[in-house]
Amino acid sequence: MIRAWLAGRDFSALALTAPVAMGYIPLGAVFGFLFVQAGGDWWLAICASLLVYAGAAQYMMIPLLAAGMSTASIALATLIINSRHVFYGLSLLNRLPASRWQRWYVIFGLTDETYSLITTLPPGTNERNMLLVTQLNHGWCVLGTALGALIGAQAKIALVGLDFALVALFCVLTVEQWRTRKSATPLWIALLAFAIAWPLSARHAMVISIALSVLAVVFLELLRKRSSGAPA
Amino acid sequence: MSDNLYVLGVIVAMALVTFALRALPFVAGQWLQQHPLVHRLGQFLPLAIMTLLLVSSTLGAMTDDPDSPWPELMAVLLVAVVQWFSKNALLSILLGTGAYVLLRNFF
Repeated sequence: MIRAWLAGRDFSALALTAPVAMGYIPLGAVFGFLFVQAGGDWWLAICASLLVYAGAAQYMMIPLLAAGMSTASIALATLIINSRHVFYGLSLLNRLPASRWQRWYVIFGLTDETYSLITTLPPGTNERNMLLVTQLNHGWCVLGTALGALIGAQAKIALVGLDFALVALFCVLTVEQWRTRKSATPLWIALLAFAIAWPLSARHAMVISIALSVLAVVFLELLRKRSSGAPA
Repeated sequence: MSDNLYVLGVIVAMALVTFALRALPFVAGQWLQQHPLVHRLGQFLPLAIMTLLLVSSTLGAMTDDPDSPWPELMAVLLVAVVQWFSKNALLSILLGTGAYVLLRNFF
């Protein structure tokens, strides 16, 4: 039966998402675990992976929820952290499934990893495979979250520092962004913005410094336009 | 975190915002493609935001640690070096977190 299943055409999508599963299951598990350890209910952790389905923003929500930050501030922080997703669709405008609900589901599931897989699928790949890749990735994330949340709900962990996994994750993502950087300016502007925001309000330093960084980009863009003499 | 209605509200708000961002190009693709500022932000924000998340989460860990800043700095450095050379996210996270837990609990 397994042999028949492997021989089926679903195998390519399954093989394609295998590396994503290696990442999503443990990362989902860490999210579920930390969510429950921070005092959340296990089923809410699963809801978050089912409905939000956005790695870094989900990790960010744990300390913000624990701090009791307002829904509007958390929504704003999500908007800023996930703003990169706006650009993913641009390269997929003419490639998504035609059927309406399949199309919206693939759009819903456009995480960094699903986007990379879908854009590497050869042109003319059938729509079923595109949908299947999206579904499998979503499934790995929810599965990992469920595992982590259930373990977290059982465990009475006495070790301090396990939540350092989040710092480590952000460090990994920073290194990867640095590797593919076009310029080092974003890093320096971000550090400068944080140095300004931190003394103003340690609690809201993140949101303030993101706003400052966005302002800096607008300002640099205006300067560039003025110096090049191009019409606005 | 104990108020489930609040948590559920946040989850729904985050889900709507995330979906809206992912759907925007399919609704306003032309406009986005033409606007240079949007492109500039798209190139700029990922590295800036990751840097900010790293700095603020590291500072967050330091505030809970009476022996800060050395355990945090050493563990972050370890993760960065392992990730730079191995490109294996899981390995980097496990090694860094393991080292940090050891430093915090047994030294």
